[in-house]
Amino acid sequence: MSTRRTREFFARGAPTHAPSHAGIVAAIVRKDLTTFGRDRLWMILTPLALLMFIGIYWLMPPRVDETLVVGVHPPAMAAALKIAMGVDEGDPALTVVPFEDVEAMAAAVADADAVPEGAERPLVGISLPLDLLLRARLGQSATATVYVGTNVPDEVRSAMATAVREVAATAAGAPLPVDWTADDVIVLGTDRAGEQIAARERMRPLMAFIVLLTESLALASLVSVEVTQRTASALLASPARTVDVLLAKGLVGTLLAFSQALILLVATRAFGPSWPVLLVAVLLGAMMMAGIGMLTGAAGHDFIGTLFYGMGFLLVLMVPAIGELFPGSAAAWVQAIPSYGLVEAMVGSSVYGLGFADLAMPLLAAAGWVVVVFMLGWWALGRKLVQT
Amino acid sequence: MAASAISVEGAHFSYGEREVLKGISFEVAPGEVLGFLGPNGAGKSTTIRLLTGQLKPSAGDVRVLGRDVHKDRSQVMGRVGVSFEEKNLYPSMSAEENLRFFARLYGVPQPDVRGLLAQVGLETRARDMVAGYSKGMRQRLMIARALVHDPDVLLLDEPTDGLDPVSSEAVRDVIRGRVAAGNAVLLTTHDMHEADELAHRVAFINEGEIYALDTPESLKLAHGRRSVKVRLRDAEGVREEAVELDGEAAGARIAELMASGEVITIHTAEATLEEVFIGMTGRGLA
Repeated sequence: MSTRRTREFFARGAPTHAPSHAGIVAAIVRKDLTTFGRDRLWMILTPLALLMFIGIYWLMPPRVDETLVVGVHPPAMAAALKIAMGVDEGDPALTVVPFEDVEAMAAAVADADAVPEGAERPLVGISLPLDLLLRARLGQSATATVYVGTNVPDEVRSAMATAVREVAATAAGAPLPVDWTADDVIVLGTDRAGEQIAARERMRPLMAFIVLLTESLALASLVSVEVTQRTASALLASPARTVDVLLAKGLVGTLLAFSQALILLVATRAFGPSWPVLLVAVLLGAMMMAGIGMLTGAAGHDFIGTLFYGMGFLLVLMVPAIGELFPGSAAAWVQAIPSYGLVEAMVGSSVYGLGFADLAMPLLAAAGWVVVVFMLGWWALGRKLVQT
Repeated sequence: MAASAISVEGAHFSYGEREVLKGISFEVAPGEVLGFLGPNGAGKSTTIRLLTGQLKPSAGDVRVLGRDVHKDRSQVMGRVGVSFEEKNLYPSMSAEENLRFFARLYGVPQPDVRGLLAQVGLETRARDMVAGYSKGMRQRLMIARALVHDPDVLLLDEPTDGLDPVSSEAVRDVIRGRVAAGNAVLLTTHDMHEADELAHRVAFINEGEIYALDTPESLKLAHGRRSVKVRLRDAEGVREEAVELDGEAAGARIAELMASGEVITIHTAEATLEEVFIGMTGRGLA
């Protein structure tokens, strides 16, 4: 080669069109979104899951029916029972329905079809003897019968039996030596009596979580394909650095998960007065899922392997969200699951309208876990890319 | 100023306990093709990964265009085009989209995608998804991808693998064109004829060591056997005889055969690169 040509060759220096790393990251993000958009599996699964969850939410009852309907025979005893149970007119918690016929009352308790049209179906039926008051005053024993349906819980059965005894004691002129009113009950925390959280509200964090996790599988699939098809090698033989590829994958995973969860939450009207808290919680959840997507994508050797690891994470991370379906505090081991803080923040902000101050601890815990999971995913995928 | 486009000096690399490169050294000048020949597992792909900065040598120096590949990776790779042995393209994207994506990675705002695809004979399939491409079409697209940013250095790993003879020749023409324009090319191949045809020099690599590095002609002369093949027709029919030219009796034997009047043809029987490789390393290229 001539000296002149050699000199020209080296004189070119760095390319004039040197790419910025932001441009490289943007190019990879754009490419990933294109390939995601062309993946039939995810293009069917993603909208289908969203539609299904949104449909389930709107089909479920919006309120919890807390009214206890009690049938009473004979009708003359209805007034005495109301007094004994402290039921005021118009009280939504308890309705007393008088029955002329004890057989009809028992049938109505047992079978909804036996309830006359327009009448309320009693969950419990109480049959009292007509001469109860007289016998009580004379100190004679009387037999009362309580009818309950198969799905009536034990505590309601016990409460009904207690109410019957109280009616008899009051009739006998020996009222219970305890005097209290509803005002004497001290509720620790927000009083939810009469405004219980509907099942669909309890299910919403679970639905959002499943959507987030589905998108983590989508990212894992994108990552896994990049590794198995060795396109990652081609990326890393360009000016793109490992950190550019990881950043792009993290952004794509966060973007996919965040957007899908956002659609679900908007469609189910989850954004109330505490919407900034919910938005932060969803963003943290999306980042955590991006970390999990990178982790599972790096761990799985193919689609099935990725799905296997992804399902493992999905089952564990769903536990706190499932726990929200049931009343009571979560066990200590549930609170140790990385998604617990996120679920608490999502439920607290969307259902109870709690603000940043009330949810500081769960949000901080969630942010801590996001850092841990994201760094783990970053490390695992970085290692995998270098080995590819 | 460095005169070599590629310079590898005493490079070592190990995967755990296994040392795959044992201090290799070579240089490639601008406008030169260096054929890198060796069997599978010899260390060819590892060398390419050192040159792309994906691996860091445990010892030694790896420079491209006078710069340390590891320290200035992004700048160096902006001027290097790579074609891998595996056809690592995005199958759910078209040829055009693949090229535009890589152009963006290299910061090329307006790549001549149509021109590049025309060079490798894919202009009519530009918008087809790569998933529907044959192995040969993918290979040609790999070459186009390596050229998308008009690089100064080309690292080509088996560039004609899986191509029919016509497509292979088209790819060789592209490589010749780039070399004429001053590109430095490192070409790894199993195809000894290709190396013989394209490479100005060849390096034989085996078990992480370079056994020889010279022009194909010099290697064949230095390590091959000089002989001629003489075809004869006698009473028993046509037969062939090889005459070693290095022996003292060679001249006398050829004169004797010519005098017999039985000679039909005489051909030079030059050693092939493969024979030289086998002779030097004791193993084949497969």
